[in-house]
Amino acid sequence: MSRRQRDARDYARRMRVIQERADARRGRMRWATTAIVVVALAFGVLVVAKLGGAGEGGGENASPVPTGDAATAVVSGLTSVPAATLNSVARGNDPTLPNLTTGQEVLKDGGKPLVLYVGAEYCPFCAAQRWPLVIALSRFGTFQGLTLSRSASDDTFPDTPTISFHGSTYTSQYLTFQGVETSTNERQGGSYAPLDTLTPQQQQIVAKYNAPPYVDAQSAGAIPFLTFANQGLMAGSSFSPQLLKGMTHAEIVSAVADPQSSLGRTVDGNANAMTALLCRLTGGQPGDVCTSPAVTAFEKDFANVSVK
Amino acid sequence: MSASSSAVSVPEIDRRLVQPWVPVVSLALAVVGLGVSIYLTIEHFTSSTTLACPETGALNCLKVTTSDQSKFLGIPVALLGLLYFAAMVVVSLPALWRSPSPWLRQGRVVLAAVGVLFVFYLVFAELFTLDAICLWCTVVHVLAVALFAVIVIGSAYADPGDLRR
Repeated sequence: MSRRQRDARDYARRMRVIQERADARRGRMRWATTAIVVVALAFGVLVVAKLGGAGEGGGENASPVPTGDAATAVVSGLTSVPAATLNSVARGNDPTLPNLTTGQEVLKDGGKPLVLYVGAEYCPFCAAQRWPLVIALSRFGTFQGLTLSRSASDDTFPDTPTISFHGSTYTSQYLTFQGVETSTNERQGGSYAPLDTLTPQQQQIVAKYNAPPYVDAQSAGAIPFLTFANQGLMAGSSFSPQLLKGMTHAEIVSAVADPQSSLGRTVDGNANAMTALLCRLTGGQPGDVCTSPAVTAFEKDFANVSVK
Repeated sequence: MSASSSAVSVPEIDRRLVQPWVPVVSLALAVVGLGVSIYLTIEHFTSSTTLACPETGALNCLKVTTSDQSKFLGIPVALLGLLYFAAMVVVSLPALWRSPSPWLRQGRVVLAAVGVLFVFYLVFAELFTLDAICLWCTVVHVLAVALFAVIVIGSAYADPGDLRR
């Protein structure tokens, strides 16, 4: 065989191999492309089905927020939890205590220690925190205009039952309370519709005390934020909104009136912790509240809080 | 004449196992996915102890990352995602793309396919069970699907068995 023949044969063999591999590669690429297209189509079907309304309405619908007499009964029950119940609960189920500050000037308004709450109606953690806060504050004064509400239905812990401070007033001879709800629970664009606006003084308080070193860096700027005359701070809820899942407002009020219920022991125990700190701010007034077992159960926790 | 005929250019056989861009792109996708997965894993293990809402009120991942669907067989899906992308980083290393091992090449494709199937399940859960979208989760989902596409294309480029002929 001549060299030319060998070269020609080698050339033909190479061309055949190249052709076979090109064909095989085209086949594999077709499979690869098909797989990618199938995946893209599968995700496309999901999105189109969602946009077409599939899967909507299948979730649990929250019961309507009580109105009229039913709402009045809820507010009345919450603002007048029997002292015997709170005494029986005392510390309850592992309450969350406010973080105490040191060396901070007592925040006052109208000559009385000021309790400032900053939250929002959409926020489920604010929804949880309002229950013990209202119980505690109701031992020192009287609320007017509290309304019932729910946290946002499209956020975590959706539709958590709660009370709103928006539009309410609080009267007490011992304390001043400012409750600020910065947003509603209704969507507006990428956020929620604005509601109350912080005053410049409130903004200063939040800027200073809702930040390290007064609260964890993780909770800085978050809501709910509570300051007890800047002597005690709470950033976040005292308990998980999960505990309120599926409950109606009336059921929660029934639970907080029952010292045997787990939820009652959680909410009332946290209310008692707040009450005990408030008693330090008011100099032990009113006496019947501040000498009750519900408060003395926290005697050691707030012993260093001294307000003159 | 014979000299000139022997100089006729004979087409070179393409012996590359993968297109040059595939290892680079797949590794980049896997590294970014690993980074986001680490963030989501940290978020999963810490957010449940932060009983607070971001002050902005903007959509956040909490509803998704703390949902029942945030775990699979008791294991946080964020952690599964982290392990998945960590494995993807390894198998996407250029040196391993150059390996002719059929086990490695097929294993890489199977891993990518499992990832896409899992993403499909998670997207389904977000859209139809939770009715909530977590943007960071979506970033991970897009990365996993893109990684699947790149790996499938890269793996289809050559059959190592051919190269031995």
